[in-house]
Amino acid sequence: MKEKLASFVASFGLPRLIITGFLLALFILAPIVGVDLPMQITNVINRFSWNAILVLAMVPMVHSGCGLNFGLPLGIISGLLGATLSLELGFTGPLSFVMAVVISTPFALMLGMGYGVLLNRIKGGEMMIATYVGFSSVSFMCMMWLLLPYHKPDMVWGMAGKGLRTTISLEGYYDKVLSNFLQINIGKVSIPTGALLLFALLAFAMWAFLHTKTGTAMTAVGSNPTFAKAAGIKVDKIRMLSVVMSTWLAAIGILVYEQGFGFIQLYMAPFYMALPAVSAILIGGASVNKATIVHVILGTFLFQGIVTMTPTVMNSVIHTDMSEVIRVIASNGMILYALTRRSEVSR
Amino acid sequence: MSGKQNSAGKTVFSFLRNNTVPLMFILICAVCIPISGFSPSYLLNEIITRLGRNAFLILSLLIPIMAGMGLNFGMTLGAMAGEIALIFVSDWQIWGIPGVVLAMIVSIPFSVLLGWVCGKILNMAKGREMITSYIISFFINGIYQLIVLYLMGSVIPIAHGSIKLPRGYGIRNTVSLLNMRQCIDNLLAIRIEGVKIPVLTLLIIALMCILIVWFRRTKLGQDMRAVGQDIHVARDAGINVERTRIISIIISTVLAGFGMILYLQNIGNLSTYSAHSQVGMFCIAALLVGGASVDRASIGNVFLGAILFHTMFIVAPKAGAVITGDPMIGEYFRVFVSYGVITLALIMYEMKKRRQKASIGAQLALAQKDDDRHEPGIGAQPSPARKEVERHE
Amino acid sequence: MNNKRKWIFRGCTLLFVLLLAGLMFLVGRGHTVYIDNKTLEYNGESYSALERSEVWINGERLSKLSKRDRTMTTTIGNSFEMKLINTEKKGDDPTEVVVKLSLPYSWDGILVNIPGYLAGLPQEAWLSEFIIEPTPMEEDAEEPAGEDDIPTAEF
Repeated sequence: MKEKLASFVASFGLPRLIITGFLLALFILAPIVGVDLPMQITNVINRFSWNAILVLAMVPMVHSGCGLNFGLPLGIISGLLGATLSLELGFTGPLSFVMAVVISTPFALMLGMGYGVLLNRIKGGEMMIATYVGFSSVSFMCMMWLLLPYHKPDMVWGMAGKGLRTTISLEGYYDKVLSNFLQINIGKVSIPTGALLLFALLAFAMWAFLHTKTGTAMTAVGSNPTFAKAAGIKVDKIRMLSVVMSTWLAAIGILVYEQGFGFIQLYMAPFYMALPAVSAILIGGASVNKATIVHVILGTFLFQGIVTMTPTVMNSVIHTDMSEVIRVIASNGMILYALTRRSEVSR
Repeated sequence: MSGKQNSAGKTVFSFLRNNTVPLMFILICAVCIPISGFSPSYLLNEIITRLGRNAFLILSLLIPIMAGMGLNFGMTLGAMAGEIALIFVSDWQIWGIPGVVLAMIVSIPFSVLLGWVCGKILNMAKGREMITSYIISFFINGIYQLIVLYLMGSVIPIAHGSIKLPRGYGIRNTVSLLNMRQCIDNLLAIRIEGVKIPVLTLLIIALMCILIVWFRRTKLGQDMRAVGQDIHVARDAGINVERTRIISIIISTVLAGFGMILYLQNIGNLSTYSAHSQVGMFCIAALLVGGASVDRASIGNVFLGAILFHTMFIVAPKAGAVITGDPMIGEYFRVFVSYGVITLALIMYEMKKRRQKASIGAQLALAQKDDDRHEPGIGAQPSPARKEVERHE
Repeated sequence: MNNKRKWIFRGCTLLFVLLLAGLMFLVGRGHTVYIDNKTLEYNGESYSALERSEVWINGERLSKLSKRDRTMTTTIGNSFEMKLINTEKKGDDPTEVVVKLSLPYSWDGILVNIPGYLAGLPQEAWLSEFIIEPTPMEEDAEEPAGEDDIPTAEF
């Protein structure tokens, strides 16, 4: 019995256990300290729906051995380009969301391919370089957002008429377009069915892909590249495919996030966006070379749960908002835990 | 290494390739300086001030590179230790140079503790040191905030309400260091034609350089270099690899603490929650601009990098404003260039590593072929020690 | 033998550093000294303010004090020295007095009353702690942002 417990703890991971326990404690504590539990549950589910696809974007690259995609901002930028262009071209309402997806796709493909070429030339140093590629591109785009000829009055600074604003409201465009679609209300808990359906669709597509011939090739490339090469799999091409998939998913992910959040955030906002997604998937049980859909779902739920519940519960208990600090410690601690585990495979 | 054939073109090419980043920077500066319209004496004054302010911090990065730990993004930890020390010294009302000295002394136990923790974690992530130290700096930043924003003033006694937040505990966003502002800079300053030279600060930096050169020759320094070259060979030679690596991080953290105190005494004001995060990134960028790489850095790189990087830092916003009419462009440009240069340096390092591995592989293949032909020694050069621990970053 | 030498060396360095720190504590203690030219009431006696008192510190004139004036300066360390050029009543010849004080360690702000000092009263009469009433401060941003720092500004 003890052995079973010990082996369960070892496989589940002690930090993960701590985080799950902490979240459970928060949920139990919430009604006791007078926090509006149904509203909080709604918040958690909402935030889950916004972030899940960004976390899903981690999966392809982990499978193909490129490590955790710290370069998520590249995909996010494609999404931002799609969103801003869709608005600039005059689309409104749900159509603007569809067009945003359509327009970001070629950007995601292009940027993803360039990123993939780069990663293929630097096998072994992906994560560090990805981080800085992400940073450089965000700061480059900061300059571009100021210079590119956008004209829509909703989006540009009022006075000069030149240069995009830092945050652009999506009211009248695609604010909550997915969340409100087929929204189900159970008592006081409201579920953003549309967004969850999109995530479910993409997650299922990913799962199915990973069981196709190309998908299994991808997993092989990640777990044993020498074997994969010997089996005739084109390692570089598969890695490139995984990078493009990840970038495209990130683009969709940020669009879904925006529709939930209600704003397009430009300039420095995407700067650190990779870290929450990375730490979410790690909290869910993934490692640097292994990630499944279950990890995505579990991890996003735990991460967003902590982010949502901690401030409200803590505030009611000790009347201080320590949530920011706790979030930083928990999420980065999780990433550290993953980085310090001896990886099962070596290259 | 590769490329050393007799044609001058090859030498030029390899010189260009090895020094891409500094050359690029010289180009950028050469273009932006005249556009910005700053006077030479203003530029000179600014550069000397910034050199005095930052050189010590950049010097702290040299030791981990020597020990094979890559770019120490964990220098932020030393910066935080220095800041905590300064908060205490400020609260105890110790001013001037004694205040600076006291802060340095007080920062040592914090730096040692943080450096030890950092080193231990890095030892558990061999091959991924850089990304790990990068995340460690965020993680410890959270702990720093926990201490400074919540524990100070409540659990940790802080006497003066003037540095606490209105709610009674936690330190304010900015802590004034007016009473020790530029005390070291001013002590032996020489002013020539509008340019202020902080002689004492520069002397301290020179002393540090001499110490580093001396350190390389000590047994500990030699051990570190051995560990940096090849972990397995060093281990076989009897060196305690883990301990040496941790010591290198501890030394770097302590130096970063001192450097941060020097930096802050120049500025005269402590941005409690944001000062250290910028420092790490910009110092690493400056070192790389000076021509250093992930596995090799010299004192020359430090100074060249400091001068080039800060020149760019000063002229870019103004140049950007002149070219495009928007001052923000220049600001974003210098951020972009800072990150871009780190990206470029990291990419070039990785590609060089792969080229080395490929050339070693080719040499081995050549050696095998010659062996097959039973010709002794021709072309069969012994392969240089291979880094068996590959970097997975 | 070698081991013992190593520990002795380390112990001595530690001791040296601790002593240095202690020294810095003493030498570096900063105080703000406030100097008053006000009429002082003590034990029923009244010691009147001077017509004019000039305060000189380190060879430079800090301030000219008329009746009821106050000036301030900062100083580091335990001892404080100033020169006063006093004119007791209108029309008098100015007299120079060199004032050497040793400042109590735990006081941040120290108030010196010139008439009381010149009258030779016990120290408690003319040397007191000066406490500034804490004004409610405006704090613009309470919660500092965590990772969302935008890397710009001064470096």
